[in-house]
Amino acid sequence: MKKQKRVFLHSGEEGHLSDLRRGQKCVVLDFHNDNAALRRRLLDMGITKGVVIEIKKFAPLGDPVDIRLRGYELCIRKVDMEGIDVRVL
Amino acid sequence: MKLALLGNQNSGKTSLFNALTGSNQKVGNWPGVTIDRVEGVIKKSNATIVDLPGVYSLSPYTSEEEISRRFVLEEKLDLIINIVDATSLERSLYLTTQLLELDVDLIIALNMYDLVKKKGININLKKLEEELGVTIIPISAKTGVGINRLKTRILNRRYKKNKHKKIYPTDVEAFIQEVEREYKYVKNNKNGKFHKRFGAVKILEGDRDYRILTDANLKVKKQSLEANYNMDGEQLVASLRYDYIVKVRKNTVKYKPHQETKTEKVDKIFLNKYFAIPLFILIMAIVYFISISLIGGLTSSLISAGFNGAEHLTIYIGTYPIVFETGTIGLGPLLANWLTSVGASSWAISLLTNGVIAGLSAVLSFIPQLIMLFICLSILETTGYMSRISFFLDRVFHKIGLSGKSLIPFIVGAGCSIPGIMSTRTIEDESEKKATIALVSFVPCSAKLPIISLVSSVFFTRWGFAFALLFYIMSILIIFALAFILRRLIKRKEHSTFISELPSYKAPSGKYIARDVADKTIAFIKRAGTVVVFFSVIVCLLISFNWRFEPVTNVENSMLRDIGNAFGWFFYPMLGGHWNWAASVCSIQGLIAKEQVVSSIEVIMAAGGGEVFAFFTPLTAFAFATFNLFSIPCIGTIATMRAELKSTKKTLLVILMEIIVAWFIASFIGMWGALL
Repeated sequence: MKKQKRVFLHSGEEGHLSDLRRGQKCVVLDFHNDNAALRRRLLDMGITKGVVIEIKKFAPLGDPVDIRLRGYELCIRKVDMEGIDVRVL
Repeated sequence: MKLALLGNQNSGKTSLFNALTGSNQKVGNWPGVTIDRVEGVIKKSNATIVDLPGVYSLSPYTSEEEISRRFVLEEKLDLIINIVDATSLERSLYLTTQLLELDVDLIIALNMYDLVKKKGININLKKLEEELGVTIIPISAKTGVGINRLKTRILNRRYKKNKHKKIYPTDVEAFIQEVEREYKYVKNNKNGKFHKRFGAVKILEGDRDYRILTDANLKVKKQSLEANYNMDGEQLVASLRYDYIVKVRKNTVKYKPHQETKTEKVDKIFLNKYFAIPLFILIMAIVYFISISLIGGLTSSLISAGFNGAEHLTIYIGTYPIVFETGTIGLGPLLANWLTSVGASSWAISLLTNGVIAGLSAVLSFIPQLIMLFICLSILETTGYMSRISFFLDRVFHKIGLSGKSLIPFIVGAGCSIPGIMSTRTIEDESEKKATIALVSFVPCSAKLPIISLVSSVFFTRWGFAFALLFYIMSILIIFALAFILRRLIKRKEHSTFISELPSYKAPSGKYIARDVADKTIAFIKRAGTVVVFFSVIVCLLISFNWRFEPVTNVENSMLRDIGNAFGWFFYPMLGGHWNWAASVCSIQGLIAKEQVVSSIEVIMAAGGGEVFAFFTPLTAFAFATFNLFSIPCIGTIATMRAELKSTKKTLLVILMEIIVAWFIASFIGMWGALL
């Protein structure tokens, strides 16, 4: 398996939610994924345009990720975070 | 009066249900404990209350969420009790905004209110009630605070009527009202005239169960709304709901600046990069060490001596045996003596002592071990640790075609496969769910514990625990290997998801655990008293008579021998090249209930003496136990598997897989043993 070099985002930059480091905060700009059920689920869990998300911690094996938004914590896989466009705060 | 209990997953619905009805439904601290609807009656009233699986929204993903949605939309309800987690208000109220669009009255039970102050949250209840237009009762389902108040309000019908509070901006609101007017029967199902507003919003969202807009004028209006907000209907509604909630929250709730919570501190250890997995293995090993080795060694010979009598008692503390000279007579021999003295026939005595007593004692002597196991599992389930394990093992499980959420069925399955299989309903992805269902029964359940215990204590006296552990390691290896193979066989979508809330840790409730353990233990004893006794008697009859129904003195002439012999070929290799009828009888009995394996051994030994099983070497015994642990599960599990897989063909395939896997592993061990 090819090991991908991870590029982290800096404050003010735009990118995918999956490219954030632990402790970083970001604001959601839009979604781009074609999985309708997943999109619906993410909306219901409060991931809407403009919401602020904080990366709380990574699972001990690096995936999934525990994120904090709207006053609660949510676990989500990195693949699913790739479809969420954000701007780092 | 008919009520429904609705709320997010893990918001404490079942705790509230238990508090209102006085029952003891399963409670756990992971999202999605309740997987089917459960009905109860509020104490001292005629109000029926239905506990439904937790949902975050009325747009369903998983099968158990579909149950909740269909229930509220199609059932005629007098009131919905919306249980809201006060410590995570914003997300919880999202469901509330949807429930308020139904044509049903609503009352909010604001749960975990006792934790609000501790977390530095200040909620202005009166104002929140006003803003939402809903009656709010703060409660703590766990401690019972506020439950009586909630009950009287419900029973006296003292709550606000649902006036369909307008929560959307004027342009969206106007559109919704127009759809409402235009489509008198917005819902496609037979109960269509209810929930007009809800249906109108669903049409704006484009929900798959609702009609598509056909009216050209409305279509244009919808498109222009979507263009104005730069979002499609689905995104728009979700965003506006949350916008409204944020506005309400800002007016009514004040938070102290965030400090490190207890949960975060505990997670630093349990979810630590390096310690997490060793800690998990250690915890599981401790659970099994305590229940199998420690408690088993202390008690099982005591109980069996009570039933059958013993010259001396051996108690194991760890691996060190302590022998007492006792000369207990035991219940069985006492009963036999008494029956002889009143002149009962010898076959009746043998039926009672060799059938009923021997069969019962074989199973009942494991009760202390089971109680300990049930206590440990109950603690694991209610603290919130299970959600953490599924969080950190998701990556490993995902690689082999399972989900992190598969772990919960496996751990629940260590108690009993049936609830284990049922708890797979929380797994979103169909192929991951099916693979999990197929693998749950490879986890040795509590009824298989007697087999493990018996073999490891009889044949590996001093190192019993190490061999017991070997069975569990074997089960984990089999599950991983099979999952890997199944991943290639089950058709799968290219993408599966794992989305789960990470709940806070909670101290387990002693009262709940006591009742939970008592319920499970009583169920086990009941099964021992009915199924096990019945089939032990049958075995005893078959072993005492020949085909002409004449009593036999030598078991080698009995009916049972011939029946067992018919299957002898199957067990030949795993018994290390021994043709033995008794071993096959025990395995077949295991189909009815796994406890039956050990009780059959006892019954056959009682009738025929130890010679029948004398050929067993430690290795063939180990092979025999392996086969019984991993082959076909009991009938109840098969039925549950069939119900959850919704396919007889797939169920049969799973069973076939289990037989093949168990047979080959057991035969390998058995033949290897014979070669040594």
